[in-house]
Amino acid sequence: MAEDQGMSVAEAAAIAADARTHARQELVISAPVVYLAWGLVWLVGYGAMWLSVRGQHPYRGPSGVSIAAVFVLAGFAAAAVLVVAHRASAGIGGQSARYRRIIVAAWATGYVILLLIQAGISGAVSARTLAFVGLAGPLLLAGLIYILAAALGRDRPALALGVWLVLAGASCAWLAPAAVLATCALAGGGAFLLIAAIESRLGAHAR
Amino acid sequence: MPADDGLDPVIHAPARLRVMVTLATLRDGDDLSFTRLQEVLGLTPGNLITHLRKLEDAGYVTTAKSGRGVTARTSVSLSQQGRKALDSYTAALRQLLDSAESPVRRSP
Repeated sequence: MAEDQGMSVAEAAAIAADARTHARQELVISAPVVYLAWGLVWLVGYGAMWLSVRGQHPYRGPSGVSIAAVFVLAGFAAAAVLVVAHRASAGIGGQSARYRRIIVAAWATGYVILLLIQAGISGAVSARTLAFVGLAGPLLLAGLIYILAAALGRDRPALALGVWLVLAGASCAWLAPAAVLATCALAGGGAFLLIAAIESRLGAHAR
Repeated sequence: MPADDGLDPVIHAPARLRVMVTLATLRDGDDLSFTRLQEVLGLTPGNLITHLRKLEDAGYVTTAKSGRGVTARTSVSLSQQGRKALDSYTAALRQLLDSAESPVRRSP
C-alpha cells in the first residue's frame, strides 16, 4: 500500500492499535517489572533476615548470610531496573529525563544519608533504635521517593505505594526489631508485588 | 483539516498515523530523537523525513536540532495541536467503526 493511498477505517484502527502497543513496549518503562524486582528484594531478602532473627533472645541481629542475600538480590534488582529503564528511555528527552535524574539523585542521596546516620549512631543507641533506622529507614525512604515520583509523573499507583510504605515504615517505630523485619518483608514486599499485579492488569487493559 | 468522512487526511496515511500514535505515547513535555523514532517505526530516514515534514507543515509535530558534530541530535515531539488532532481523528475513527458495525448488530 502506498503511504498516501487511502486505507479503510478498519485498517486505520488496526494500524493505530498496533502502533500504540508497539510504542508502549518500546518507549514506556515496564512498571510491573520494576515493582516485581523490588518486591522480591523486600519479601525474600527481608523475609530471610526475619527468619534468621526469629527466636533470638536477646536480639543479636540478622545472620550474615541473610544480609548478604539482601545485597545480592538488591544488586540483581537494580541491574534489572537499569536495563529496563535504559532500554525504554533511550532517545527520550525533555521533562521525563529531568524527572528521572531528580529521582535517582534523591534516592542516592537518601541512602548515603541513611548509611551515615546509621554509622553515626551505631554503638550509641539501643538495638531497637538501630534496627528502626537501618531496617525501616530504607522503607521510609522508598515511600518518600515513590511519593516524589508520583508527584512528578502524576502516577496514582506510585502515590498509593509511597503513602503505604511511609505508613508501614513509620509504624516500625513502635515495633521490636524482629517485627520491623516482618513488616518490611510483608507490608513492604507485599505492597510492591500487589502494585506490580495492578500495573500489569492496567497495562493489559490499555493494550 | 478533516475530509468528508471526518478523518484528517494529514494523519490518515499508515506511516503518519504510526508516527502520531508513537509520539502520543510520550508524556507532555517529552521529545524523541529522530534516530530512535526511526528505529521504533522501522522507516528509512528519507521516508520518515518526508512524513515528518507533512506533519510539521500541518503544525502537528515540532522538530528541534541541538548540539554539533557527533553530539548533534534532532528531536521530534507532538504539539498540542497535534495531540488534539490525533484525539479528534481517533474519535472519528471510532464513530465510523461503530456506525459500520451497528447495521450488522441490528440484523437478525
